[in-house]
Amino acid sequence: MTYDDPGQSRPTPTSTVGRHKATLLQLLDSHAGPGFEEAIADKVRAALGAYTEDIRTDVMGNVIGVVRGSGGDGAPKVLLSAHMDEIALVVSQIDDGGYLRVAQSGGFDPRTLVGQEVVVHGRETLLGIVGSQPPHLTTPAQRKQAPTLEELYIDLAMPEARVRERVRVGDRVTVARETLQLLNNRLSGKALDNRTSLAIVLECLEYLRQLRHEADVYAAASVQEEAGIRGAVTLGYGVQPDIAIAVDVTFADMPGQAPDVGFELGGGPVITFGPNIHPKVFQGLRDTAVANGIAFQIELSQGPTGTDAWQLQIAGMGMATGVVGIPIRYMHGSVETGSYDDIVACGRLLAHYIAGLSRTDVEALTCY
Amino acid sequence: MLLKRLTEAAGPSGFEDAVRDLLRAELDGAADCMYTDVLGTLYVEQNRDRSGPLVMLDAHMDEVGLMVVHVEDNGLLRFRTIGGIDPRVLVSKPVRIGRDGPFGVIGSKPLHLQDGEERKHPLSVDQLYIDIGARDKDDALRAVEPGDVAVFATQYGEIGENCAKAKSFDDRVGCAVLVETLRRRLPARLVGAFTVQEEIGLRGATVAGHRVAPDIAIALEGTVCADPVGAPGHTRGTVLGAGPALTVQDGQTLADQRFLEFMMRVARDQGIPFQLRQVKGGSNDFGAIHKTRAGVTGGGISVPVRYIHAPAQIISLEDYHNTIRLVAAVVEAIAEGGFAR
Amino acid sequence: MKERILELAAIVAPSGSERGIQDVLLGMVADVADEVRIDALGNGIARHNGQGPHILLAAHADEAGAMVVHIEDNGFLRLVSVGALRPATLVGRHLAFANGVVGVVGAAHDVADQDLGFEHLYVDIGADSRTAAEARVHVGLSGVVLEPVVELADGRLAGRALDNRVGCAIALEVFRTAAGEGRNVTLAFTAQSAVGARGAKTLAYQLQPDLALVIDAVPAGDMPGAARLAIELGKGPAVKIMDQTAIVPIAVKDLLTDSAAAAGIPVQYEVWPEGMTDAGSLQRSVDGVAVGGVSYPARYVGGPSTVIDLADVNACVRLLQAAIRERASRV
Repeated sequence: MTYDDPGQSRPTPTSTVGRHKATLLQLLDSHAGPGFEEAIADKVRAALGAYTEDIRTDVMGNVIGVVRGSGGDGAPKVLLSAHMDEIALVVSQIDDGGYLRVAQSGGFDPRTLVGQEVVVHGRETLLGIVGSQPPHLTTPAQRKQAPTLEELYIDLAMPEARVRERVRVGDRVTVARETLQLLNNRLSGKALDNRTSLAIVLECLEYLRQLRHEADVYAAASVQEEAGIRGAVTLGYGVQPDIAIAVDVTFADMPGQAPDVGFELGGGPVITFGPNIHPKVFQGLRDTAVANGIAFQIELSQGPTGTDAWQLQIAGMGMATGVVGIPIRYMHGSVETGSYDDIVACGRLLAHYIAGLSRTDVEALTCY
Repeated sequence: MLLKRLTEAAGPSGFEDAVRDLLRAELDGAADCMYTDVLGTLYVEQNRDRSGPLVMLDAHMDEVGLMVVHVEDNGLLRFRTIGGIDPRVLVSKPVRIGRDGPFGVIGSKPLHLQDGEERKHPLSVDQLYIDIGARDKDDALRAVEPGDVAVFATQYGEIGENCAKAKSFDDRVGCAVLVETLRRRLPARLVGAFTVQEEIGLRGATVAGHRVAPDIAIALEGTVCADPVGAPGHTRGTVLGAGPALTVQDGQTLADQRFLEFMMRVARDQGIPFQLRQVKGGSNDFGAIHKTRAGVTGGGISVPVRYIHAPAQIISLEDYHNTIRLVAAVVEAIAEGGFAR
Repeated sequence: MKERILELAAIVAPSGSERGIQDVLLGMVADVADEVRIDALGNGIARHNGQGPHILLAAHADEAGAMVVHIEDNGFLRLVSVGALRPATLVGRHLAFANGVVGVVGAAHDVADQDLGFEHLYVDIGADSRTAAEARVHVGLSGVVLEPVVELADGRLAGRALDNRVGCAIALEVFRTAAGEGRNVTLAFTAQSAVGARGAKTLAYQLQPDLALVIDAVPAGDMPGAARLAIELGKGPAVKIMDQTAIVPIAVKDLLTDSAAAAGIPVQYEVWPEGMTDAGSLQRSVDGVAVGGVSYPARYVGGPSTVIDLADVNACVRLLQAAIRERASRV
């Protein structure tokens, strides 16, 4: 594979590098669990508007911005899919006293919820606290027990009647957490899984402005990934791209983790390899990283990647899939931590990969 | 010998290349048209312009296997499993890495050095390593790379009375049945699909069913046979030597009763022994194919396999030959208009 | 309505053995449908050509049951489940097979209730030998626990297969009204729902409706010591918010709640994290289908006898009628 890469000889203007950090901070402020992504979808459509007027939203709510390349009819068709939903809770019962009981809509670790501030999206947006028992009133034995979601409740600090006017069974709950900027261009907060990947897609589109590319790019913010990789099912069927790349986060290394499932924070994008990934897409991404001097890491997968690619690969007639993203710490907690440098590098990797794609490359995808 | 060549080829899910290359060679001259899709499933078409129902015969190329994920400083390889392998079968087995890479062995701490409590617990994958004889990490990395896959290094052989042993009869025996069926050049509109990624969720077949859009589909499988050591009748699944097994219900499929009766009728008419698969667990590619598009009629025909997913599996060669006979008879009967929905 | 429910609940139709009930169901709408048919997976489909958005009413026709998997030399039958059925609920009960044969279910004496699996069960159909049994049943034949429907109190019915023959009866009624109003509507009695909404998947591919409405039971949580579910029997239809298979789009949920409010029908909200229904299969077919759900509260869902309230059932009918009119007017 060869790369026609004007970006290498002409250094990218630094003014636009990392321009979407502010966008990311806005996206991280959104509350959008599976099946109620409309608030963030508006922000995504606005951000995509800088790159294309062709923005569509499918029946499930997937937002798709189409950025045409120079390839005309028969141009390679590349889908970038970054899910925009975050893990959430849903009100399952209003108990006596106006306390809310909740069920999962995504995959919270109940232990991270104790004492957490949350936002209840009722007829009004309400702040609540997940109740916890004071240590004075618990026995040492109780303190060793992890709480279950069944036992937890949300306290809105208002009388039951007022709660019942404002909240109904089925209303959604998300974590209230302001994003913190840490040292070394690192960010911490909720929903870095997977808003960081939306920023990657935007950074990619920014780089692509300066590169010649034949391929048509379908930049998608997908829905309901956290509820079981659902939006990707209809997204893949509707777009039917030649290549679909799921952009999603993976685990950063932490003490005690197995050596093959933790990656260095700030060590560059992680490219996944395994049965869920087309070998030529993996190879293309890796070669692109090497050719452009982008530090990268490789994740090995033996089955489901737990990303949109798992459904995209088998949608309709099937498609060639890839998986990239950045490593984050404390996945599905409310202090997920990642590096914006990794985001920029990952966006650059995707842009150069896309710019290098030709019709011949696509034809080769079905040759085994 | 076809079964030997097929079962000794390496092809964990997603890494079916060696099996596909072998099949292409075996099917030379048997195809009107041969192609692969983007996942790597191999399609063989026959008599596309003939009238009558389009029949899809499916067998999956992939097998359960291992992937090297990390090399330790001492040169031992950490690995994880691809597809459903019971970790208890791994210890003390030879493996081969890649298509023709190095051999390795999966060892464990000697029994002498384990205390009484340790001995009672099966060894988990995290406690096992592949030893390829490397002196250290650098030495190992000259021969293997993380991401390389491995399969059991079991040789095919005949055993006992008209039986055979090998790895990966699931589903190379189905591939062999499909190859033999295609070689017969039956007068039917036929697509043979050698699919990928069955062991990790019937994934190749999901796409293949949508692509082929057949009128009738039959999955050819190697299926669970737990008949030894006094197993009661209703827990055996199938019985070795009792003939091809037809599915009534498995984890993904409820048999289309009319098609099941049709297949039984064909078997009886032709004097081919058959049995019903008497277990609900497990599944085959038909589970995915029948749910594609507007729904597909069909079923599953399986060869009983003892010790399925383990390093050394056993089939009856009589079952194998009877399965080829039954598949051919069913396809011919369909082509003659013998099955009406 | 009650007579229709009683008639439908008497039919034995475990998943995969729906043809008999489909003939009955489709016969009940043949006079108002432009087309009726049964598809490859066993879905019964009645089509009415008409004006406006294409609306699909989907109610599963099947029920969980048990299948003969082996016949012993001494004539006893061995079983596997069809769908999710707790083995302990079968013990000592009469099992009625789809071909009319009835047997008694027994269990190995030395297995504790909580350890009981289908492999411990057997059926006695009065046969003394394999040959005698094979003359009347075969491997692959399915059956259900016999538990005829009774009226506990005025409007409160209890018995087998109310889940989801009640839904079928609701859908029949709503389809007749919609057809009478000249609407573009399809009625589907889905097959193989209890084994993972298999029929619904291929159904949606064929029809690609503008809106699919699932009519099914939702467990009530108003019994002593019941699992937490904010649904009460007799308090009206439940508008589906989410179950294990699908999250209903807010626009569809609003369509249903707005229609209910306008028609003065009190509703409840269904958040059923364990619920397996046709909604997900319908929603994620092709490039996506707008899906909603109207459920009738039912106690003891998944057990051999469920309890429903006819007042809820009638309110479900009115809610669906109102919602279809409202949806058609929004074009």
